[in-house]
Amino acid sequence: MLKAKEISNKELIQETFDLIESNSHLNAFVTLNKENALNKAKAIDNKASDLSLSGIPIAQKDLFVTKNLRTTCGSNMLSNFIPPYSATVIENLENAGCISVGKTNMDEFAMGSSNETSFYGNVQNPWGENLVPGGSSGGSAAAVAAGIVPAATGTDTGGSIRQPASLCGITGIKPTYGRISRWGMIAFASSLDQAGPMARTAEDCAIMMNEMCSHDLKDTTSLNKEIPDFTKNLNTPIKGLKIGIVKEFDLSTLDNEVVKIFEESKKHYESLGVEFVEVSLPNINLSVPTYYVVAPAECSSNLSRFDGVKFGKRCKNPKDLEDLYIRSRSEGFGEEVKRRILIGSYVLSAGFYDAYYKKAQQVRRLIKNDFDNAFSKVDLIMTPTTRGSAFEAGSMNDPIQMYLEDLFTVPANLAGLPGISIPSGYVDNKPLGVQLIGNSLQESQLLNVAHCFQTSSDWHLRTPSSEIR
Amino acid sequence: MSWETVIGLEVHVQLSTNTKLFSGASTTFGAEPNTNVDLIDLGLPGVLPVANREAFHKAIRFGLATNAKINQVSMFDRKNYFYPDLPKGYQITQMEKPIVGKGSIMINVDGVEKLINITRAHLEEDAGKSIHDLFDGETGVDLNRAGTPLLEIVSEPEIASAKEAVAYFKAIHQLVTFLDICDGNMAQGSMRCDVNVSIKKEADDVLGTRAEIKNINSFKFIERAINFEVTRQIKILEKGKTVVQETRLYDSVNNETRSMRSKEAANDYRYFPEPDLLPVVISDKELEDIRNTLPELPKQKEIRFIAEHKLEESEAKILASSKAMANLFEDATSKTKDSNLIAKWLVGDVSALLNKDNISIEESKLSSDNFATLIERISDKTISGKIAKSVLEDIWDSGKDVDDIIKDKGLVQIQDESILENVAKKIIENNPDQVEAYKGGKEKLFGFFVGQVMKETQGKANPQSVNEILKKLLA
Amino acid sequence: MDKETVATISYLSRLAFDKDNEDKITKDLENIIKFVDQLESIDTSNIDPLTSPLEQTAKTRVDEVTAKNRKEKFLQNAPDANEDYFLVPRVVE
Repeated sequence: MLKAKEISNKELIQETFDLIESNSHLNAFVTLNKENALNKAKAIDNKASDLSLSGIPIAQKDLFVTKNLRTTCGSNMLSNFIPPYSATVIENLENAGCISVGKTNMDEFAMGSSNETSFYGNVQNPWGENLVPGGSSGGSAAAVAAGIVPAATGTDTGGSIRQPASLCGITGIKPTYGRISRWGMIAFASSLDQAGPMARTAEDCAIMMNEMCSHDLKDTTSLNKEIPDFTKNLNTPIKGLKIGIVKEFDLSTLDNEVVKIFEESKKHYESLGVEFVEVSLPNINLSVPTYYVVAPAECSSNLSRFDGVKFGKRCKNPKDLEDLYIRSRSEGFGEEVKRRILIGSYVLSAGFYDAYYKKAQQVRRLIKNDFDNAFSKVDLIMTPTTRGSAFEAGSMNDPIQMYLEDLFTVPANLAGLPGISIPSGYVDNKPLGVQLIGNSLQESQLLNVAHCFQTSSDWHLRTPSSEIR
Repeated sequence: MSWETVIGLEVHVQLSTNTKLFSGASTTFGAEPNTNVDLIDLGLPGVLPVANREAFHKAIRFGLATNAKINQVSMFDRKNYFYPDLPKGYQITQMEKPIVGKGSIMINVDGVEKLINITRAHLEEDAGKSIHDLFDGETGVDLNRAGTPLLEIVSEPEIASAKEAVAYFKAIHQLVTFLDICDGNMAQGSMRCDVNVSIKKEADDVLGTRAEIKNINSFKFIERAINFEVTRQIKILEKGKTVVQETRLYDSVNNETRSMRSKEAANDYRYFPEPDLLPVVISDKELEDIRNTLPELPKQKEIRFIAEHKLEESEAKILASSKAMANLFEDATSKTKDSNLIAKWLVGDVSALLNKDNISIEESKLSSDNFATLIERISDKTISGKIAKSVLEDIWDSGKDVDDIIKDKGLVQIQDESILENVAKKIIENNPDQVEAYKGGKEKLFGFFVGQVMKETQGKANPQSVNEILKKLLA
Repeated sequence: MDKETVATISYLSRLAFDKDNEDKITKDLENIIKFVDQLESIDTSNIDPLTSPLEQTAKTRVDEVTAKNRKEKFLQNAPDANEDYFLVPRVVE
């Protein structure tokens, strides 16, 4: 990151906005914070600051509310929403000296895996003209991959940090559920949502984690556990570490190239002294159907507050209250969001609750138990992050096909475990990540293993410009 | 055919916490609209609830006082529905694991006691207020009340009449005010109830179809609404038709219940565990501490009053019946020793005035200080009992200070015996016929002479002195 | 999953779809529900539902006022309000 101060803070921030401008075709940003950002940089130039991340430009996913700066969550519903407060994550980063340069594009209310559900248009993957960046933190991933900002914030409900990190060739970590405060994160599925950093390297992710984590009394689901210095254990030798390979994931259904990258990175870890063992997670293949009951159920309730009464969009000339509700919501939400609200209402409705919602939460416990068992045998679990590399925009029209994209990422959310995606290879010049899942609270270990991989490989250093331009 | 009424009550008690159930906004009544509203109460995107522990403590007090099971692990659920004064589109309530489980409360109807079982009592947040009649074509929403902690107390369907229902509601009112968990102010909506009414044939085991009458907030209206509803349902059944299960509204102007929006029936609240709130655990020690600091309840007070002040049971019962009455009694006994005199005044004149105006002590102008002073002036013989009565009436109307009233109206009792003797002599002189009759054996006439002296002194004479003087003069 | 069910849950969710979309939505929901029906295959009797991965207990708050009056700001942000109230079309009770 910005360690050597060769240029002024203001110049750096100006340069960042120039990069945003020259990369405007990516559509990575929804709202810019130019004036404030430049003023803050100027202030640091005038009065040197010893804050750890002083003057570092950061892109914020547009799901975090930012005081007095428009926050849309990728939705038409909030196209005019100016929050009266800031998320804890935003405050933590800004208190550490970071400069928020703007709000990044995302799938509407974080529901999507390709950034195609955003009301503000698709985000282009910097690695190819018509490629999706993944989602839902697609704008953040693209902004980091394109070298506009050194790091960005993301959120991950079913893979929304790790999947776009994989598809854009960057590093992204979803911490243990509760590690980072959810105060000011617009909720999609409360029991699954977790914020995390996206950056080029694991080391940068660790630096970000140090500032993003805090005990927050405003979020009673935030953990009471000690927050370590995540950078401290980087470079700890990983010799003798045991990594589990999931028996139930049938990789033969994946592209040969994808399997090859996975196998090669296994070899790489082995060269660092890691031992691989097969572990069994008997219920893991029920993760996606479980997720697609739990997440919509919580979302259907969480999104009820968008009713056109207190904030957000209201339809024109409502003829009565019902008309106001129905038209404001029908006009304000996009297709995918509506689809998930309907599924959620259905699985919670009288007569279906036990068969779907309760059942899914029971299976969820089985999945968590599977992980608990596995972690009694291994330190980490390794899986591909995604089924393949970035696909073309508009190529995936079947919702279920799209949902299955999350196969490898949703289990960590269901069990509340930390997971990291590490750039590990290229398929047809498109980046691809490999995922490591850690036991609860083991982010330091994940970051260290990723860091050891990265200090002995260069996949994470390749940039779209060095490859294709 | 003989019909049987079955009633169940859901009483909503507003807990008297300083802040809301899930936010640090004040719960003060009567604030300017939308000023007691936090980010959380508005349900802004990204906000999260944090539970107020005091609300749990207050709920537990109720549970302990009704011999209920306290669930030391309790959880919140979401109840989903759309309404403008429900900012999040769901209400946070306790469905699966309420803080208070099964308990019971004794009610008293015309001197007959009956134990009513309580199914459960759970915490939930109140909604805001919709104001329908203030603006042209629009409804205004005030969120000051949104998020205020409520304890919803659900009775078993064991209440058999409107009278019993009122007695039950009164018993709850008495209890929550004694426990200091609710201010009991009905006019401000601090206690409201939903009434479930059904009718069945006496011989039937199965309950009839019920109608729920929503949101009644006075003793009087509970009685009237139930009576109307019972008559309505019996009429339907006697025609051989069936009662529709629905939600009804009591219209106090026309004294009738009527069906609410039919869409209410189509509502499906889609309850599920609130993922933003983890289970709240009450430790054994916490529970013990609450048990040990539980305020004295009416029955205990009654027993203590009898023991400490040698009161009659009937007197003690009345004095212990409301917190304000008991406070008045105890404040006065701390200032003047004559507790029997205090009890006599409270049970007699004060109660009579309350009944006459149909108000509670809190609503009257009688302060505890003023009442204690009044008693003091009677026992130190500054005024006579008769004068005291008129002073009390004066306080009742004006709320003025006792000593000011005595001074302004010159009501100080005449203690000087020579003055009284002169008056008595004059009366005897002016009524020779009565004197003769009295001396001839008509002893009842003694009262006549006392009365005349009192009249002459405008009631200010000390009756005991008058008696003695007259006896001496007429001997 | 039929059109009537879709109509019911649409109403519960306060969402509406035009005729063209209705068929597509019904079909999509049907497929998704069929997909999640896989869960039926597994025996979960006596398994406690896991509603939060954080199996800890709640932190609570002391009963002290911390909020300030932000009425003006809140009402400003509202789609329709006067100086005191949020406004919606008249609700008939």
